[in-house]
Amino acid sequence: MPNSVDFISLVQSKFGDKVQIQKGVNGEASFVANNGLHHDILKAMIDADEKTGITSITGLDFGENLGIYYHIHTAKSFFTIKAEVPRANPKIKTLTDIHTGATFHELEVTDLMGVVFEGNELNGHFVLPENWPDGVYPLRKDINLSSVKLVPTPEREANKAAEGRQVKIIIGPQHPALLEPEKFSVTVDGETVTRVEPRIGYVHRGIEKTTELRTYLQDIYLVERVCGICNPAHAYGFVGVVEKILKPAVPERARYLRVIAMELNRLHSHLLTLGHAGLEIGYETVFQYFWRDREPIMDLIELTSGNRVYGSLITIGGVRRDITSEQIPKIKSVLADLRGKLPFYRKIYLEEPTLRLRMKDVGTLSRTDALKLSVVGPVARGSGVDMDVRKDLPYEAYNDIPFKEIVYDDGDVWARMNVRMDEVEESINIIEYAIDHLPAGPIKVEVARSVPVGEAVCSLEAPRGELFYYVKSNGTDMPERVKIRTPTFANIPSFLQTAIGESIADVPSNFVSLDPCFSCTDR
Amino acid sequence: MDFVLDPMLIFRILVFPGFTFILFLTLFCDWVERKLEARIQNRVGPMVAGPGGILQPLADFIKLLTKEDIEPRDTKKLVFRYSPLLAFAIMVFAMCFLPIDGASVLSTGGFDGDLIIILTFATIANFLLFLAGWASANPYGTIGSARVLTQFLGYDIPLYILALTPAFIAGSLNIATIAGSQSLPFILLAPWAFVLFIITIQAELERDPFDVPHSESELVGGLETEYTGAKLAFLHLTRDVQVVFGSALVVLLFLGGSSGPVFFGLDWFFYTLWFVLKLLVVVVISEYITTVVARLRIDQVLTGNWKILLPAALLSLMLTVALVTWVYHPFGIGV
Repeated sequence: MPNSVDFISLVQSKFGDKVQIQKGVNGEASFVANNGLHHDILKAMIDADEKTGITSITGLDFGENLGIYYHIHTAKSFFTIKAEVPRANPKIKTLTDIHTGATFHELEVTDLMGVVFEGNELNGHFVLPENWPDGVYPLRKDINLSSVKLVPTPEREANKAAEGRQVKIIIGPQHPALLEPEKFSVTVDGETVTRVEPRIGYVHRGIEKTTELRTYLQDIYLVERVCGICNPAHAYGFVGVVEKILKPAVPERARYLRVIAMELNRLHSHLLTLGHAGLEIGYETVFQYFWRDREPIMDLIELTSGNRVYGSLITIGGVRRDITSEQIPKIKSVLADLRGKLPFYRKIYLEEPTLRLRMKDVGTLSRTDALKLSVVGPVARGSGVDMDVRKDLPYEAYNDIPFKEIVYDDGDVWARMNVRMDEVEESINIIEYAIDHLPAGPIKVEVARSVPVGEAVCSLEAPRGELFYYVKSNGTDMPERVKIRTPTFANIPSFLQTAIGESIADVPSNFVSLDPCFSCTDR
Repeated sequence: MDFVLDPMLIFRILVFPGFTFILFLTLFCDWVERKLEARIQNRVGPMVAGPGGILQPLADFIKLLTKEDIEPRDTKKLVFRYSPLLAFAIMVFAMCFLPIDGASVLSTGGFDGDLIIILTFATIANFLLFLAGWASANPYGTIGSARVLTQFLGYDIPLYILALTPAFIAGSLNIATIAGSQSLPFILLAPWAFVLFIITIQAELERDPFDVPHSESELVGGLETEYTGAKLAFLHLTRDVQVVFGSALVVLLFLGGSSGPVFFGLDWFFYTLWFVLKLLVVVVISEYITTVVARLRIDQVLTGNWKILLPAALLSLMLTVALVTWVYHPFGIGV
């Protein structure tokens, strides 16, 4: 059983004095491992627990050295492997040979921090624009952003014939199947996809860098802008990690109100995706129905937070607005109304024959691959991996609220969409339970503006999957380093793999099943 | 013999039941479709232009006519310019053979074999649409028109075979005779052929679940991608006329054409009324199918054609021939 694995004693017994163990830092413990030991530790951890994977890699600037923090998730807990490399020669061994899911994270650190991962080297830019000069790394502390001289933009890549029958089709940055800009160069042999090359970063706004120049309070509003759809999740991600350093006594009522805000958010996000998937497969009626029923949920968000989209409800120390007793009947009636419509929608997604023809056995991701690629959220749960942060590492009031974890074993587009379909009902259950058991009391405590020196991680289940935050504070009112790992960033590799060997016509429906959000991905 | 320009014939061609009538019938059917689709999807649909938005299709058409007409540099100008117009003209011409008010537009009785002629016109119009997309020098347009070609070439075969079913029962290839001999509508004599014919027409008209040439998530606008202004207006109008044409074929071949009770001796009025009402029934069925299903993939569409629809059409023809020879005609049905 994964629960029984004691990773701290495992690492202690295997590596002894070579690895320094910091208990309680950045998850359950941090392992300080230099000279290539990070590779061996991860290998030992994966061997002990198949659910071990890389959540994120954070690059830090310590002056003389560059720090590389590998945030590792296991079935029930969180660990960090800390490694350092000299700034003059920032080279470290790649982890892609033992865990494929590390690829994107390593490329991002290379582009933004200038660390070279031997074996996974970057050719060109990954997140930064094409006209960004080489050798300038924006997340290093010594950079002066106003003095960066952009280089001329290289020539555009053209739709061109590769060898033989292979043709390269470029999907994006502007394409009707993509609502946000991102580029995927798809090589097709006839109608069959043989290769997909991604290029992200079209909406890279440098939010991680910007947070270092703002106060913690301002940063809440900034990180909400990482993603419009799941903004309460981002607000909680940041607030949650700051609260782990500050340790304020957050009132019980606020914990429940936060859960209600995040579940309302999940409801509207899932309804949006379920409808959008209908549009991608030419099923407009499904699209119109789901978006019609999403509107009352948006009204509830407005009712409880004051705004339809950006509620900015969650703040450090509690929440900004209370749910009054007059609002409760309205909330309950809207939820009951939606619950009444669910059997019909579930029937469509489970049984409608043309929908099944377009979704069943499309984009199949096996359980093994899902674990290897560290996919998160509904994508992982659609492939039979029972990973839900709300269950595995309960935060806020999720520990007190009973709900089912939805897992489908099929691994295809159909399964991923049905995970969301079933989670809509679970979210309704959670909100109703939370409203019925809402504790009395204050909703907020006052907290200090400055945060003491420290570091912490926080991960939560956003609508699209596990959202991860890392914050390092330096005693002032501004953070030293903020790292955001969004769910889509972790899920894109699965698309690159599942699209291969399938028809080009399946690309849109396969893609939408990830519920992709590129503004999140690029930050 | 001197060629006499009969004023009545000119009226029939230009006004009723010819060009003007067909144009307004097309726009009316377009409005019915849009309104119905909107109501099924719990929207309101057009509602500003005219009562219940009935003038919206006309307004859209006029609006497109007034828009700037852009011709991209690399297009094949001649084909790009004229194929939408020609396709529209051919579709209207094909409509003129249909006995709408009891007789076809051009002559009272048509001629033997005009069923084949109008089906051929429909195929030519589709081919012109393919050329329109092909000439537009745009990858989406090219793929979209290639799909149009693949689809109509495949589905034309079952269409022709299924159109023969009523012809066999009536013993004639003249569409007026087929419509006229349905004292008992052929939908009752060959219901299986009616169902197959509706499905085939759905594919021929490129509507859901067969609308792969218009899959906007893959092909943007399909063959219409590069079209603007008046040319786009005629492409849209051609599609709408095709819908009316397909539905009219169903009415004439299976629902007894324009036959129905006639009062006050106003036979042309009542014939037209019955024809339009039956047409609306078919349009409603077709639109209903469109709204309640998802779009198939191109390979699923083609598999459906060659593996399911074509054998089914052949079986239907065999069944019809057997029934006609040994059951219907010996008992005097459908002659």
